[in-house]
Amino acid sequence: MKPLTVNFRSKAAQTLADAQIQQSIEHVYTGFFKGRLAAAGETDNWEDLRTKGKAIKDHTIAHLDYYLDLLATNVEKNGGSVFFANDAEEARQHIIKLAHKREIKTVIKSKSMVSEEMGLAEAMTDEGFETVETDLGEYIIQLANETPYHLIAPAVHKSRADVAKLLDDNYKDGDRVPDATELTMMARKKLRGVFERADMSVTGVNFAVAESGSIALVTNEGNGRMSTTVPRVHVAVMGMEKIVPSIQDLSTMLRILIRSATGQRISTYVTMVNEARKQDEEEGPEEFHLVIMDNGRQKLLEDPQMRESLNCIRCGACLNACPVYRKVGGHAYGWVYPGPIGAIVSPVLTGVKDASNLPSASSLCGACHDACPVKINIPRMLLELRYRTAEGSTDKEERSSSATERRIWKTWRIGMMGRKRFDMAARLANLALRPFAQNGWLKKAPPPISGWTSSRDFPTVSPSSLKSRLKKRKKGEQ
Amino acid sequence: MADRAKFIASVTASLGRSEVLAPPVDNSTAGFEDAAMAKFNADAAMKDASVRSVELADQMAIAAATAGWKIHRAANPEDAADLVASICEQKKATSVLRSKHDVLDEINVDAAVANTGAKLGTTEHSGDNSRELVDQSKAEAFIADIGITGVDYAVAETGTVVLHPRSGLSRLVSLAPPTHIAVLKQGEVLDSLDELFAIERNDFLTGNLAGSMNLISGPSKTADIEGTTVTGIHGPLEVHLIILSEG
Repeated sequence: MKPLTVNFRSKAAQTLADAQIQQSIEHVYTGFFKGRLAAAGETDNWEDLRTKGKAIKDHTIAHLDYYLDLLATNVEKNGGSVFFANDAEEARQHIIKLAHKREIKTVIKSKSMVSEEMGLAEAMTDEGFETVETDLGEYIIQLANETPYHLIAPAVHKSRADVAKLLDDNYKDGDRVPDATELTMMARKKLRGVFERADMSVTGVNFAVAESGSIALVTNEGNGRMSTTVPRVHVAVMGMEKIVPSIQDLSTMLRILIRSATGQRISTYVTMVNEARKQDEEEGPEEFHLVIMDNGRQKLLEDPQMRESLNCIRCGACLNACPVYRKVGGHAYGWVYPGPIGAIVSPVLTGVKDASNLPSASSLCGACHDACPVKINIPRMLLELRYRTAEGSTDKEERSSSATERRIWKTWRIGMMGRKRFDMAARLANLALRPFAQNGWLKKAPPPISGWTSSRDFPTVSPSSLKSRLKKRKKGEQ
Repeated sequence: MADRAKFIASVTASLGRSEVLAPPVDNSTAGFEDAAMAKFNADAAMKDASVRSVELADQMAIAAATAGWKIHRAANPEDAADLVASICEQKKATSVLRSKHDVLDEINVDAAVANTGAKLGTTEHSGDNSRELVDQSKAEAFIADIGITGVDYAVAETGTVVLHPRSGLSRLVSLAPPTHIAVLKQGEVLDSLDELFAIERNDFLTGNLAGSMNLISGPSKTADIEGTTVTGIHGPLEVHLIILSEG
């Protein structure tokens, strides 16, 4: 997927002005955010579970090379194939080649953010495969030709009328709007037909277990189960960080993932796949393929300040908790991962320069850090990225600040570092601003200060400094 | 194309090392617990399920109801059979599929379903399954009205029914039909996910891990349209759990 992170401001403004979307995305707060709080509240050892989840991920990421090797060895031992892809293009080409080789006609996709990185559904459709998203939200998004709005609720911004138009060609504005049940049953009927003819599936991976070569899939709808049951060929795609060492680690990870994502104790379905269909089983895929993708993740791994972001288990809790996400919505972030986690991984994975607005789209309130089931310190990384885009990075490409901006700040620093220089600068600023001021405030100013004065007043520089006023007062008292 | 060795060497370099090192013992993950420990944990889980069977069945009933299962308690096999029959009648089922769980023979589910006039079958075939037979199984499952299974385990913490697909237990019997009935015997309920995965890990270390596993907690559901929860998007619209007390 082509990053459009550079459009953050305009996309955010568009969403802020859209009353219907504002109402629709409120659900991430009323549904998911409150659901997570309730689920955490009823879990006695919630904080211990978070600590344990963080420890499991810290350990795994610190030894990722070892666990990747172990995982690949065990998947192959179970009869599956493993493909390591350096980037999205390699992964996409591998899957397309496999589909051609197996003479595939219909591909069913389960929700997978990694496949969004690959732009896989689009690429496979272009190659002539009937490619259908099977998660209801993703299906709606595919019909609308859009990208997901939220990690776990992709179509949260769509109204029932929007969905009716997408599912029913005969639906016209002004017709009775079907309720959610009617719409869901329409989708069930359509997708059942697809399941019956599907010969290949592409799913994500919630956790891959290194010691046994298994994958675990979490769904509420059952499309994950359909995908691991009906087609001949099952391809699972994962980012290289999605590993846990042991089967036993799954109980902790599933608990914190699902409670944080939707507030449920468990999702309706958890599917664990260890191998393809055994010969005497009634049905199930004949082949299992695992695609493990880097796509920039090594940049996060080798960066001590950013490595912690690889602990992310993609629950979406930070999005639901974020007061900025809840207003600017998912599309503003311009790439696969929106919200606070997107604001820290997108700049590194897709380039800091275009994404420089993302780390700034936060009030640093810390709600994301509090919500994260593996305690990722997102605010710390937001600050780090802000520092880098301003001036910290030695890589000029990474800096978003212009040469003029840096010159202004340099001059500012010189001015601030000597008493006489400071007093002189203050006097000059006062003189320069005086013609524009009314009662000590600037109501309207030329650019770039107009960016501030368009929404609030700007104070002028005081004619006398605090120090000189104190001096005067002291004299007066004597 | 990325070569595996090259890919991993590059990850090693990103970690600031020159070779892949086995991680030091770290008790934050269960990966360092040896086979004896795993066996001890699995045995303890099974013993707990049997010693606390009454209490765990009650907890299961509450958690499963929260997850969306319709709960039925049966005092004896005859009651359980009657419950299955009445669900078949209520759903006006004509085609019913069953798994090969012993409990279904114990309650004589075949006779119970036959009495309602519905056709009862399995999708099991003898021996290896060709692609044609697999397609036939799929087609049968997609037109069935009800699927009936036992459980391999249940989990009281989450209201979960655990099934390991195998010969005689098709993946679709609990997924494709609009109604799923699971018959649970007291004593099959584990306390929590910890116990379940302890058993799975021991199965793995002793070479007995099943090919796949499904945890089922209620009916198929979605909230993708305006956040309204609707059941039955892909899997069953309705799931029934019959809890059979020990005779």
